[in-house]
Amino acid sequence: MANVIAVLEQRDGTLKRVSREVLTAARTLADAMDGEAHALVIGPSGVSGDGLGEYGADKVFVAADDALALYQSDLYAATTADVVQGGDYGVVILAATAMGKDLAPRVAARLGCTLATDVTAIQYDGGVVVTRPVYAGKAVYRLKLTGAPSVVSLRPNAVAPEQNAKAGAVEATSVAGGPARATTVEVKQPDRAALDVAEASVVVSGGRGLKGAEHFKLIEDLAAAVGGAVGASRAVVDAGWRSHAEQVGQTGKTVSPSLYFAVGISGAIQHLAGIRTAKVIVAINKDPDAPIFKVADYGIVGDLFEIVPRLTEEIKKVKEG
Amino acid sequence: MAGRLIPADHQPPLPRDQLVLTEAPGEERIDVDVVFVGAGPAGLAGAIHLAQLVKQGNEAGDGPGDVSIGVLEKAASLGEHCLSGAVINPRPFRELFPDLQDSDFPFGSRVEKESVYLLSAKRARRIPTPPTMKNHGNYAVSICEVVRWLGERAGELGVDVFAGFPAGALLTEGDRVTGVRTVPSGLDRDGNEMSNYMPPADIVAKVTALSEGTRGMLAQAYFEWQAISSENPQIYALGVKELWELERPLDRVIHTMGWPLPNDAFGGSWMYPLEPKVVSLGLVVGLDYPYQTLDVHDLLQRLKQHSLFEQYLRGGELVEWGAKTIPEGGYYAIPERLSGDGVVILGDSAGFVDVPSLKGIHYAVQSGMYAARAIYEALKADDTSRARLGEYDRLVSGSYIRDDLYRTRNMRPAFKSGFWKGGIKAALMSLTGGRFPGKRIDMEEDAAAPRRPGSAEPVVSDNKLTFSKVDAVFKAGNATRDTIPQHLIVGEDVPAELAEFYAHMCPAGVYEVSDGKLVVNAPNCVDCKATDVVGPRWTPREGGAGPSYKRM
Amino acid sequence: MKIAVCVKRVPDSEARIKIGADKTSIDESGVKLVLNPYDEYAVEEALKLKEAAGSGEVVIVSVGSEAAQETIRTALAMGADRGVLLEADAVGLDPLPVARALATELKDGGYDLILFGKIASDDYSHAVGVMVAELLGLPCASAAIKLEIADGKGRAEREIEGGVEVVEFALPAVVTADKGLNEPRYPALRGIMMAKKKPLEVKDAALDAGGVEILQLTLPAERKEGRIVGEGADAVPALVDALRNEAKVL
Repeated sequence: MANVIAVLEQRDGTLKRVSREVLTAARTLADAMDGEAHALVIGPSGVSGDGLGEYGADKVFVAADDALALYQSDLYAATTADVVQGGDYGVVILAATAMGKDLAPRVAARLGCTLATDVTAIQYDGGVVVTRPVYAGKAVYRLKLTGAPSVVSLRPNAVAPEQNAKAGAVEATSVAGGPARATTVEVKQPDRAALDVAEASVVVSGGRGLKGAEHFKLIEDLAAAVGGAVGASRAVVDAGWRSHAEQVGQTGKTVSPSLYFAVGISGAIQHLAGIRTAKVIVAINKDPDAPIFKVADYGIVGDLFEIVPRLTEEIKKVKEG
Repeated sequence: MAGRLIPADHQPPLPRDQLVLTEAPGEERIDVDVVFVGAGPAGLAGAIHLAQLVKQGNEAGDGPGDVSIGVLEKAASLGEHCLSGAVINPRPFRELFPDLQDSDFPFGSRVEKESVYLLSAKRARRIPTPPTMKNHGNYAVSICEVVRWLGERAGELGVDVFAGFPAGALLTEGDRVTGVRTVPSGLDRDGNEMSNYMPPADIVAKVTALSEGTRGMLAQAYFEWQAISSENPQIYALGVKELWELERPLDRVIHTMGWPLPNDAFGGSWMYPLEPKVVSLGLVVGLDYPYQTLDVHDLLQRLKQHSLFEQYLRGGELVEWGAKTIPEGGYYAIPERLSGDGVVILGDSAGFVDVPSLKGIHYAVQSGMYAARAIYEALKADDTSRARLGEYDRLVSGSYIRDDLYRTRNMRPAFKSGFWKGGIKAALMSLTGGRFPGKRIDMEEDAAAPRRPGSAEPVVSDNKLTFSKVDAVFKAGNATRDTIPQHLIVGEDVPAELAEFYAHMCPAGVYEVSDGKLVVNAPNCVDCKATDVVGPRWTPREGGAGPSYKRM
Repeated sequence: MKIAVCVKRVPDSEARIKIGADKTSIDESGVKLVLNPYDEYAVEEALKLKEAAGSGEVVIVSVGSEAAQETIRTALAMGADRGVLLEADAVGLDPLPVARALATELKDGGYDLILFGKIASDDYSHAVGVMVAELLGLPCASAAIKLEIADGKGRAEREIEGGVEVVEFALPAVVTADKGLNEPRYPALRGIMMAKKKPLEVKDAALDAGGVEILQLTLPAERKEGRIVGEGADAVPALVDALRNEAKVL
């Protein structure tokens, strides 16, 4: 019997959605291991650990200090290590976000334990078993982790948050003293106006079906609504409608988003090779025989000039509501 | 527009000023004793054999001392721009590596069974294997694997192989070739230097061995500059090849003739098992085909739909695609002199390919070895003049390279008369060991052949058995950056019907016709050189551009 | 400035991946092995910093098999000064043993800066560089897209969701490089020739086994057959619903 602890992430004092995914994963694992699921929230003073019982937390540790408003690698790592060492934990789970990718190895190094990052599934099967993609998604490992605890970071969107009412008792915990070797001094807006298509988790790509550079506004609007980056097929870049930096496929970029919209793109192999590891592909094209439909998970056949504005509208509603 | 469509009318000349430099080497310079341009079988065999001779000579006490040998290769790593059928004659490998067995060489399965078919749209009629095509005892190989293996042997002998460095020009002094200059990298589409710009480098060498493969740029420039001619012009065929992994094993080497080629286009197809379930297949067509819209890639897609092929390919997977030209002129197209002050020309660049047996790799390796011997003696005598390096020409003329090519000297030219008459003539030549018909048959260069207009019904690709050019280029591993400078020299005012011809001629879809105008998608280029033969001239791009063949 | 750059030899990202017969590793036959692309940014940054400082040394360190020497030579050809190979025939998937071996080697090197690529393009662990920093007790900025070093201090920018984090630290420090940090130079011909003569020391990595057991390596599942949700703008609500509740990506 061992417990599982989920290290949650907050932004401006509010817990990010990915935290509920991590907590759900912790709960599932704790049940399989016959233990408790705890959560750790590190953030500025006032950050709340309330309501986490709803997603399966038996206990919630809150380390609050204004010095921790922004992610401070050494202090977060030290605080986490202290809490983990203070309990009997078999697994420590973080989200494989920018923060998690930095924090997880620090915690593992401090505790001298096994680490598996960016996993897409985590189970208990006589030991902690994780699934993680490698070689840019071209192959998948199933790994068993030994030693206690193991540290695991979970890919965002891999686990759907599940409600599972537990006590969720909140307990304040101390913030580690330091030293803070590196200091995060600020978070600023990115220099580039737009998200890099290769790093974005949502990409909206436009092809020749858009009939002209001026119509790309439709793609930009949809990308903005869904919080994604704008991509372009090679034909469109060659025609000079968009810059090479946005090209997806065939010497442009290989992208691996959770969600990829191919709008007015027929789907030649080289474009498809650029998006092969996208989790979900949506195609919008007026030609029902376009090859893109063979690869897309969902498709709408029809006039993109009518479909895309409607899609933008509906997605805005979802994001606001 | 009235008048015949003749590609030569719109072909720019060889950019000689760009290819033959008279200025002194610059600051970015390295000095080696011998440089081989092109890390194919000829260049690597030459470098290996030279290193062996130097080592043996030095150990015996009468060697030339330290000899630095460099091999330049334009692909990012060895083998990536090499493509061939291929069924190889192992003879020169055994000579080059006397201590190794056949099983040590990077060969695939040994040829046990072979069949030749005459195809029609619906049928495949087996015909007796012509004596020139018998392959028993030979091995199916991937030239990429052979080249990588040779590269390792070269490295072990202390040869410096520089991958990612295309040679763009000859350095000369008077009539002497003093080395080569590489192509710069890191330029944008408009020729401006980007942040990772690397200027050209000069490799200065006592002997430059040109082993650039088919339609070598610098070899062409050397022959033209030195006014070296051959009795017939060199002619070429375009081969488009695919590598497949099969569900159903193949136990024999297959060659076909006939459908889908028209009677007045010379060529045929092959399918070879590298392993029982890994096959190389493709179609070769002479570039003098008299049609505007003949499209070799498309014909290959059609060929695969024939039951003879489809029965093997069904359920399989296309792993790689590629294309390359083959010099087909044979004996009479070999230049009268293959060496000069400071230079020798090897392999396909010299035209050492026997069309009836479809063999060239072993001649390339053998020519590399002869070059090494000539160069070795020249270095020892400290004399790399034309007279001394002429030993290479003498070695080649006294060898089976010359004998084999002489025997079949008129076979390919015989097919000028069309498939049936040509077939009869070829059969006669086989029976008489080349003596009849014996007189040289006049040939003209491919670009001079007029093209009749036609209409094309391209195969609609199903992405399982048949593939479009755009998808094929992807399967060639082509990851050339789209912002690379345009490397093709296009003639001025290309008329629409010629643009149409280019679009069908190029297997990689570099040329398209849009609104009657020629559109050039240069990054698609897989360096097959067909364009250089009948269309816009090809020049080398920065290192690593082009295809990335792995097992072709 | 004395800078160490840790590099890894990985399969080329264009390589077609086939599962080996043991079902726990890839079939390496015919697979081209190259310098990890993210490490190229690290090597380039080290070379730029040394050039800006006017003097110094760039040392390349790698944990890997004997063939990794070739990879170290590639970095030497770019302009680094010498290399150290910590030889290990089998490197498991657990990042900690590798980090420990590197930390032991780097500890007494007197380095002002230790650079890594943020991830290796084969295992995507995103761990070794950060772990080495922890083991050595050094500040670390990971996934840097911008780096400034002056007067014994460093300032790095790293991309996070919807923003850019600015991190400050004092040297000595560890930084892991992300794409966009710089434009790596191509090795020049002369550099390649000189690289052969630069010192490359080979030592035993003495890796411990680590805590990751490979149960299986498989190819990803075939994409399931997709479906056309409908025609025209009227199909949009059904699509959005599927994306939210079925695919769970919205």
